[in-house]
This record gives sequence, structure tokens and C-alpha cells, in this order.
Amino acid sequence: MNPFIRFLARRIGFLIITFLTFLIIIFALPRAIPGNPLAALLYRIIEQQQTNPDLIKAVHKKLMEEFGIDRPLHAQLFEFISRFVRGDLGTSIAFYPRKVAEIVFTYLPWSLGLLIPAAIASWILGNLLGALAAYRRKTRVDNALLPVFLTLSQTPYYWLAMLLLYALAVYAKIFPLSGAYSPTRLPSLTPAFILDMLHHYALPFFSIVIGAIGGWAIGMRAMVIYELGADYVTYSDSLGLPDSKVLRYVFRNSMLPQITGLAINLGLILGGSLVTELVFSYPGTGFLVFRALSTLDYPLIQGTFILLISTLLLANFLVDLVYAYIDPRIRTGYVGD
Amino acid sequence: MIPQIVKDLFKIKKLDVSLAVFIGMIVMSVFGSVLYPVDPLYMANPPESPPSKVFPLGTDSWGRDLLALLINGIKSSLSIGVTAALIALAIGVLIGVISGFKGGLTDSSLMLVTDVVLVLPSILIMMLIAAYLKERNPFFVSVIIGITSWPWVARAVRSQMLSLKTREFVYMSRMAGLSDMRIIIEDLLPNMMSYTFMAFVLLMSGAMIAEAGLSMIGLGVTKGVSLGIILYWAQLLEAVRRGIWWWFVPPGAVLVALAASLLLMSTALDEYFSPRLKGG
Repeated sequence: MNPFIRFLARRIGFLIITFLTFLIIIFALPRAIPGNPLAALLYRIIEQQQTNPDLIKAVHKKLMEEFGIDRPLHAQLFEFISRFVRGDLGTSIAFYPRKVAEIVFTYLPWSLGLLIPAAIASWILGNLLGALAAYRRKTRVDNALLPVFLTLSQTPYYWLAMLLLYALAVYAKIFPLSGAYSPTRLPSLTPAFILDMLHHYALPFFSIVIGAIGGWAIGMRAMVIYELGADYVTYSDSLGLPDSKVLRYVFRNSMLPQITGLAINLGLILGGSLVTELVFSYPGTGFLVFRALSTLDYPLIQGTFILLISTLLLANFLVDLVYAYIDPRIRTGYVGD
Repeated sequence: MIPQIVKDLFKIKKLDVSLAVFIGMIVMSVFGSVLYPVDPLYMANPPESPPSKVFPLGTDSWGRDLLALLINGIKSSLSIGVTAALIALAIGVLIGVISGFKGGLTDSSLMLVTDVVLVLPSILIMMLIAAYLKERNPFFVSVIIGITSWPWVARAVRSQMLSLKTREFVYMSRMAGLSDMRIIIEDLLPNMMSYTFMAFVLLMSGAMIAEAGLSMIGLGVTKGVSLGIILYWAQLLEAVRRGIWWWFVPPGAVLVALAASLLLMSTALDEYFSPRLKGG
């Protein structure tokens, strides 16, 4: 069998297993925790019936139906997965009677629009800076860069966001204080609106990029230093190959683990960027989760995380494909995975 | 007499700097409340006053003394970091050792589990679990962080195990008829001490940052003060937009200093124990 196809089949199998595990975790959590939070929520809704009896009855009925906590567990699990496969994520409590999927899909583009460009930009910049530091190791360049990388890699984006917001929006008044666009404007595809959007985009974007650079740079620096000690470098040097050519080999070899790193760390960056959205009141899913938490809107919380993690697993899979395509060892079947 | 290894270790500048910062923080958290005996939850001070002689780090919107809060926050962030790191380390080492030593089907099934947990984004899973807990004490938060952050430790311990178990001294023990358990405890684990310590240090810094992230989104400890909780309060009351910088700058800076000193410590030890990384 074509080694690439075999690799693909293994990855798809793994993706399905991971996804099912995740769905089971989501399903089990509210039911496994003592004092079933769902039951508590239902009880609270019944308690408040005097305020708006009809609406609350409707919410209660819907919740009972969707979570089906009066039915046996295996029936619940089956119902849960089949609902999910049909794309039904349930009904929100706070935004009743709107559907969870519909609500999340209005917030998700803002989060992804922030996360994906920021993750890619930080990855490219971090790798370049890390390679530079490694190439100039034991010089002033590396001695100056390394502590910066170390500190940045341990700096939460949202704290960096608070500092940038304070310095550049509150104090220097260069950037707007909050939101994704000015409240006075209506979303449209006019140049003025796009400019306004970019103006709001800059601070959250750079908070994540600057915060994420450190980690990539440290990884890349270590990889390049490791590769520079490899036999093929000594051999190429002794052949008298130009430095730039040798460096290109080193760079390409060091990039491979960094691609896997991108897949693994995407979740970490997403987690950080969700909280960063809060600092800027950016209308993404982080903001949505925060609101859903304050109203204990479990269907909405659950649905948001399902969609976020599904997106992430898919992105992971795509990165794996890129990796397999680039790495000749997988392409030719030299290694299994 | 000080052993040679300790002398050698102290010659590493990175290690000295990181130890100085880290120990400084510990001293501040342990002796801080003795040297600065102010009730962190006392609310009758003038609210939102900037740093002054009376309030070295100012006060928050409820009039609480921010230095006193910070001292308490460091203490609980450190203890959450240590507890979570110990939990993650225990799980990771256990799975890694069994997987690497047993091999075969045990190995492949344990590594499948590890890979699944590795791919699921830990910080999001933490948020999801925390969302269902109404009361979150520091121990719960540590457990939530611990049970989601072990997979890379398991993978690394497994590969160490694979290379260690083919060494000659292990064959000797086998020939002498020692049990698997004794070989693991007497031959293999001691050889991984330095590595395990580095993993612990990294887990700890990761756990403290994770705690702050959980707190910021509103899923931190429900009682008590941590560095993340101070940041959360600052965020909730719009400290940034209202220019109350003394509320959010110190806790973040302390968190970064703690986490960065731990990372620097593990980097320094790593270079000492595996000289190839020094890149001569």
C-alpha cells in the first residue's frame, strides 16, 4: 500500500478515536460530578418559576428533553452522539429559544480570525528569531535574545494585553479601548469599516503574536543548535559548501519538529487567546464562554467547547497532513508515523 | 564539605539567577505575612488609592491592601503549582515507566491514551471540567490541572525507560534474578532523577500559568486569593481602562518572574546534565 495512504488512514483512525473520547468526556462530566450540576440548574429554574412561569416551563421541558437525565445512561449517550452527528448542539438557556450552534457560529469567526493569523505570524517570526539566535550562539545577539524569549514564553497573552491596552490605548490613546469595531458603525465591506476593524484588531493580534513568539523561538533555537552538531554539517563544512547552503539544510531539518509543535501548541494558543478576548471585550468565543458561565448556561458552554475543540482537532489533522507531505521519510514509508 | 556537584552547579550563572528569583518569591510568600502583617481582606481602607508609604502597592476597588493580597496570592499560586505538578508527575511517571518497561500491547494501549490526552487541548479541558464545579478550592483546581497536563511527561519517561532498560547493569540485575519491581525502583528510577526533577519544575510553571488562565475566565478558586484571582478582579472592575495600573501590573509581573525563573532553572539543569545542548 502507498505509505502516504497508510499514514493517512492511521491519522484518520486516531482522529476518530480522539473525537469519540472527547464526546464521552463532555457527556460524562455533568453526570459524573457529585450533585449533578444539570439537576441543580433545573432545580434553580423551577425555583424561579414565579418570574415568568411559561418561559421557564418551556426551558425546563427543553432541557429535560435534550439532556434526558431521566433515561438510562446508555440511551442518553446514544442520543447525545446522534444529536451531535446531526449538528444539533441543543438550545441555549440565557438566549432562549435560540439554538446553541447558531449563537456560537456568530462568535466563532471573530475568534478564529484572531487566532489563526496570530498563530501563524508568531510561528514564522519565532522560528526565524530562534534560528538567528542559534546561528549567533555565544555572541551578544544570542545573549540578548535568549532571556527575552524565556520571559516571553512564560508571559500570559492576556497580561501582555493588559499592559499594551494600558500603554497604547489608555495612556497614549493610539488604539481603541475595546470591541472589534466602533459601536457607531454598522458592519459592512466599506474601506472605512475595514480600517476601523483593523484598528481594533491590532492590539489583540500583537498581544498574542508577541506572547507566542518566545516559545517557538526557544524550540527552534534548541533544534538548530542540535542540528549544527550533526555529522552532515561537519561533512558539508569539510566539503567546503557555502555557509548559506549548509544553513538551509539545517533550517529545513529543524522545521520538521516545529510543524508538529504547531499542532500541539495550537490549543494552548487558543486558550490564551480566549482570555485575551476578554481583556479587549472582543466579541469572540472567549467572551461568549465568560457570559455563559455567569448564567450557568451549560448547553451553551458545552456547545462552545465542542465547536472549539472540533475546529482544533481538524486543524491538528491538517497540520499532520502538511507534515507527512513535507517529511520524505513518511512519503516514502521509511517510518510508520 | 560541600560535594563537587553542588559547587559545579553554583558556577552556572543561569541557575544562580533563577534560584535567586525563585527563592526570593518563596521567602516573600512565607515570611511576607510576618513582615507585613496586614489583613488582605480588610476592606475599610480608602479604595483605589495609588501606591504610597501606607499602602506600598496601593489598594483595590474594595479598599483591600494589594501588597497583602499579593503575598497571599503568591503563596496559593505556589501551592497550586506544586500540588498540580506532583499529580501530573505521578501519573506521567507511572504511565511512562509501565509503558516503557512492559512494551508490547500494554505499551501501545497506554501510548494511545497518552496521545489522545496530548492532542486534546489541556487548557480547554480544564475550563470545561471547572465549569461544572460550583465550589472550587485550591486542591480541586490543582487536581484539574494535574490530570490534564501529564502526557508529555509520560512520553518522555517512556523513551528514557526504553534506552535505560537495555543497559548492561539492567541485564546484570536480570541475571541475578531480581524482580521487575526491584529493577525499576533500584536500577531505573534513580537514573531518571535529574530528568524527573526538570519535568517537575516545568510542570510547576505550567500549572501556575494555567491557574491564572482559569481564574481570568472566571473558573479559578471560589474562595481565597491567588495571583490569577487578583488579575481576574482587576479585569472584572475594568482596572486597565480606568488606569489603576498598580492592580494588574504586580500580580502579572510576579507570575511571569516565578514561571520564567522555573523555566530558566530547568534549562540550566538540562544543559548541565546533557552537555551536548550547550552547543560548543
